[in-house]
Amino acid sequence: MNTEALKDLLYKIADDQLILGHRNSEWTGFGPLLEEDIAFSSMAQDKVGQSWQIYKLLEELGESEPDMVAFMRNADQFHNCQLVELPNGEYDFSLIRHFLFDMAEQIRFTHLASSSYEPLSLLAKKIKGEIKYHTMHAKIWMKQLGSATEESVSRLQNSLEEAMPYALGIFEPSKFEAELIKEDIFRGEEVIKEEWIEQISAILKETSLKMPDLNSITPVYGGRYGKHTEHLQPLLDEMSEVFKMDPTADW
Amino acid sequence: MNLKSLDPRVTRLGIDESTDTQIIEKGNLDQFETYEAFIETKEGKPFEHAGPVHAPNEEMAFLFAKEQFSRRGMFCNALCVIKTENIKVSEYTDNNEDVYNLVNNRASGVERESFEIFHLAKRGKQHKYAGSVMAKDYEDALAKAKEDFQSDKPVFNVWVVKSEHVLASDEDDRDIWDTLKEKKYRDAIDYKASDKIKAFKEQQA
Amino acid sequence: MYGGGNSFEAMKATALTDEDPVKLAEFEARIDRGEKIEPSDWMPQLYRKQLIRMIEQHAHSEIIGALPEGTWITRAPGFKRKLALMAKVQDEVGHAQLLYSAAETLGKSREDMIADLINGKSKYSNIFNYPAFTWADSCFISWLVDAGAIVNQIANSKGSYGPYCRALERICAEESFHLKYGHHCVIHLATGTKVQREMMQAAFNRWWVPMMHFFGPSDKISVHSEILMRWKVKMSSNDECRQQFLDMYVPKIWELGLTVPDDKLRKDPETGQWEFTEPDWEEFKRVINGDGPCNKERLAVRRVAEERGAWVRQALLAPKTKYVAPLA
Repeated sequence: MNTEALKDLLYKIADDQLILGHRNSEWTGFGPLLEEDIAFSSMAQDKVGQSWQIYKLLEELGESEPDMVAFMRNADQFHNCQLVELPNGEYDFSLIRHFLFDMAEQIRFTHLASSSYEPLSLLAKKIKGEIKYHTMHAKIWMKQLGSATEESVSRLQNSLEEAMPYALGIFEPSKFEAELIKEDIFRGEEVIKEEWIEQISAILKETSLKMPDLNSITPVYGGRYGKHTEHLQPLLDEMSEVFKMDPTADW
Repeated sequence: MNLKSLDPRVTRLGIDESTDTQIIEKGNLDQFETYEAFIETKEGKPFEHAGPVHAPNEEMAFLFAKEQFSRRGMFCNALCVIKTENIKVSEYTDNNEDVYNLVNNRASGVERESFEIFHLAKRGKQHKYAGSVMAKDYEDALAKAKEDFQSDKPVFNVWVVKSEHVLASDEDDRDIWDTLKEKKYRDAIDYKASDKIKAFKEQQA
Repeated sequence: MYGGGNSFEAMKATALTDEDPVKLAEFEARIDRGEKIEPSDWMPQLYRKQLIRMIEQHAHSEIIGALPEGTWITRAPGFKRKLALMAKVQDEVGHAQLLYSAAETLGKSREDMIADLINGKSKYSNIFNYPAFTWADSCFISWLVDAGAIVNQIANSKGSYGPYCRALERICAEESFHLKYGHHCVIHLATGTKVQREMMQAAFNRWWVPMMHFFGPSDKISVHSEILMRWKVKMSSNDECRQQFLDMYVPKIWELGLTVPDDKLRKDPETGQWEFTEPDWEEFKRVINGDGPCNKERLAVRRVAEERGAWVRQALLAPKTKYVAPLA
């Protein structure tokens, strides 16, 4: 098995989940209604919890322990797509990002459930239920807010257009696509992307929102290779503020 | 001036400090419907009332109730929500008086519609699912419930709901309550530190 | 999380003479038998008013209580702490939801309660007006503020109002995680490096007085509180709660080699009562009336959350929506 390719895959998935989980946790206590505050927080926890599991898989492959990996790396060592590191904005942007990202996540993990790398396929099966709730949540919100008032539709449409170039960055091909596909570890970003476009288009069709014309959009790439927006390093500095006071201490 | 907080999240909200004296208008702006949520804590156990959620519709009530009342997944197997206004509430009794004894009419025998029946077996406890009956209307359902479910144990209050008004989780979606064992961070049992205290005391001694 | 020191309304002399004596007797008999009152039961106006006020203050304390600890939500060190703190703050929001629902069954809508909070017409637990300067402050809150709240909540869960008892049962079950988590955090800091230890001790020095304030001033036994006790609205005195808290937790603090900034604190071996320096009650009054270090910020955050979420709620609100108070 090509361990380097496998690690690259695991890092990008885990980094995506950690950073988005962290961003989403910023809403806890400030949500638009109490019940949604609670639901959104649960999903943030699921994401951080999932990333933890994947960092544990990396540890088994010889990487440092999860806390060190998550709290001690700098931005250029993170492989998350740029979509997840963007500031939360208002609830419309956070919801759109949740929708775009989690739909992709569900497709990704559905394929990973049949990965030839067994620890990963086992994990994919274990978190299927969590991800199912996330997409259920995302779809219901899109359906409701996406066809409600003029304000909600225009807010979501604007956020959708703002997020889409970054969302396409989720599928930035890694340098190991061919190896991963060949070894049946992962079906490759292109496959995920095609299914994703089909699924989100179908959901948006049920709303008053318009699917942006993907041919006229340049995807924002770079995240998978350690290139990030100016937002990631401050996020990491904040996240590790206490941990870095003494990384060897038991907190 | 924007408010600068010890909480970086609050600082990022960019709260204008000068607006903090406006009075918020009361009104019905946010007043969503309420839904009562019921959970099945274990396979085979009856659904019991967990509490209400505010939600704009049934689907969202389900989404919200799932996290508000069953986010510690191991205590939930299935969930249902019912719009509060669709629940017909009987009288409440006390002092060991069975509320079914106040029901005098007999069941009509007309099986027009299905109804779900919930019992309050003790004041202060949760309403629990008793079973379903076929009946003509709510009142008739209560009479039928008396025939079917009255026992030696008094019931102090009954909720009657049309089956069609119940939104329950699908059998196929049971996995939304599957949790990673790592979720135990939500449970007290995951926080044992007596060894650390012992070691510390020994070191001090 | 909620302490004692509820501000109960003064009772008017006529408050009870206006009530139907037969119904009042039935109501009191029900409570005497140890049966709970349910929402649609007849109840005296005073009972309803005091319960709304008490449960509402409790709910506000949960939602505002999410803020001091929330200060550290993005900075918790390591995966385990990060997840636990997210879950804990989420629980506080969840508790607010449960408590608002219980209060709603008495006839005041949630939105009215939230508006009263934001407009400063309604109180919440004073302790949340203090800032959480360091990670150790958040650990202090998770352990000891929650511990104090549990003392109070366990007492209240034996009260007479069904919906409040049900909410508290659920809340107390969740609080046991908070308490253990908080204690775990404090143990790690107290037995850790020099920096960690100092950080923890500094937090104790800052939070001890607010913690003593948390249970409220000594209560004077009045006719008023005697009735509320008889009706099982008020379940224990502020002093009883404070004593119980000291008894349960001071030994646990001392065994970690931590101190509290009160050199008079000791348990009288004869009476079994804890002796302590009276905290500055003028400060307590000042803070509760709005002049604490964080009062303005706490309300401003709630206000902004309400305002910025308004478009979401408006969009979802169907024109024919009819609000019905929860049933139980």
